[in-house]
Amino acid sequence: MANYTKQKKISAFFLNLVAILLFVVMIFPLYWMITASFKKEVDIFLSPPQFFPVNPSLQAYTAQLTSNVFDIFQGLGNSMFISCVTMVLAASLSILAAYGLARFRIHGKKVILLLFLISQMLPQVATLVPNFLIFKSIGLYNTYGASIFADATLGIPFCVLMMRTYFLSVSKEIDEAARIDGCTSFQSFVRIMLPICSGGIAVSFVFSFLFAYSDLIYSLTYINDSTKWPVTVGIYNAIGRYGTAWSQAMAFGMITILPILLIFIFMQKYIIEGLTAGSVKG
Amino acid sequence: MKKVLKGDRVGYFYILPALLFMFLFIFFPVIYNTIISLQDVTVSTLLSEDKAFVGLANYISVLQSKEFLNSLTVTVIFTIACIVFQFFFGFLLAMIFKKNTRPFQLMKAIMMVPYIIPATVNAILWKFFFATKGGIINEALLALGLIKDRIGWLNQPKTAVVSIIVANIWCGIPFFMILLSTGLSNVPKDFYESARMDGANAFQRLIFITIPNIKTSIQASLVLGIVYTFRCYELVYVMTAGGPVDSTQLMTLYSYKYSFVTYNFSQGATISNILLLILLAVGLLYIKMMGKDEVM
Repeated sequence: MANYTKQKKISAFFLNLVAILLFVVMIFPLYWMITASFKKEVDIFLSPPQFFPVNPSLQAYTAQLTSNVFDIFQGLGNSMFISCVTMVLAASLSILAAYGLARFRIHGKKVILLLFLISQMLPQVATLVPNFLIFKSIGLYNTYGASIFADATLGIPFCVLMMRTYFLSVSKEIDEAARIDGCTSFQSFVRIMLPICSGGIAVSFVFSFLFAYSDLIYSLTYINDSTKWPVTVGIYNAIGRYGTAWSQAMAFGMITILPILLIFIFMQKYIIEGLTAGSVKG
Repeated sequence: MKKVLKGDRVGYFYILPALLFMFLFIFFPVIYNTIISLQDVTVSTLLSEDKAFVGLANYISVLQSKEFLNSLTVTVIFTIACIVFQFFFGFLLAMIFKKNTRPFQLMKAIMMVPYIIPATVNAILWKFFFATKGGIINEALLALGLIKDRIGWLNQPKTAVVSIIVANIWCGIPFFMILLSTGLSNVPKDFYESARMDGANAFQRLIFITIPNIKTSIQASLVLGIVYTFRCYELVYVMTAGGPVDSTQLMTLYSYKYSFVTYNFSQGATISNILLLILLAVGLLYIKMMGKDEVM
């Protein structure tokens, strides 16, 4: 028996070692981005490279924030505006639809679910040209609206399918009881179901935001005016002009992902929950 | 569905807004896209009322072109390579980080970050990694003595393909890790205990207990992974824009190039429609697979 515990201890030690090793490999690119953003441009090209910035410098950040190539504050503001409006739009529409699909007898329910499932798998390029023409003809081209509507189509199918599993997991008796007490379906939805499924609702909001914030292709295609560009389009356009100004590019990257990292720190539980609920049960 | 609440018609009002929205910005555009692919639409005919209907001519010319065959090949190679490695490492991480201790949970959470940062930023980060001068990949290979001169990773067809695959593997691993670790956490612990009692070794436990019990998670992660990788766009567009000499021209980039660079909208629409049909086939297969386990 003593031998068995000893063996177990050794294998646990190796397991931990392998775990830490894999972890280090996985996050090394992130580490490298962070450290590079704090290096001076000349230090990037040292060989062998510095694994830790020996002369840490904010040069890349100050250069980036004061650059006249792309106004990064404006870009962040545009991103925030587009993502927040998309988030509210996509999450509200999908929470309502998910409730309808989970609680009512709907003709063609299977077809509707199938449509949402399929639209989650569509390649974005399939709607790019037609939406470009549609937005042009209804005057939405080159407005935030174009990005918002396009980005919402990413969040809606995901959130509908994911939220539906949340609503399905709540026992029917709960809102039946509310209905017997005289609530309308909408009242029981707002007062009973939404609070019970608040976790899922948080997931819907977080993912709708993330989808919109990460988008490049829609905003790149539908917005021509650089003062309306979200930060992803800004960084894409700026990178060509940097050439090999890597520390500045990494600083730009860091600024871009900062809002995402903050959301991740506070909403991590919901992000992991949403990923699993949305994909496995989809 | 034994008992249905009264007033079922109200249900339609909940669904209608989202459905209408998706119809306007997804389903109608997809139909419109199909129409464009059957017409001759270029920049000169774009705004004219009567566009010539050309039937399947666009499909025939696309399917016969070498460029299409190239993009299909690149997409398939890219997808297979990415999925194999993402699945392997995702599975490995899910197994190793199965323990529910706090440090392990924290490490697992941090490893999610590559998945949620925008593809544009990932692309620029990996461009930096593969940079000829100052790129850590070259520096590391030089230090290890594996290469004598710096490689222009993104400037040569073969190495460019390797670069985009590596970059995409990195951001996809967390997706597999999370899906598979959820599957793993649902396998009852006593299954392993009793197998151990029976003298099954670690490999046998993996083959006979773990894998059969997380079959659904494996299927879901693989099919979704294949779909998401097959339609990958932004990462590669920012890293290489399809070059050099079309070596990284995924079908998505190929379609985009026809529509928005050469303004041959019909060709672009045709390519994206072929891509859509491929994904639809994979998607329907997935739905059929899931249908057995999941009651819709």
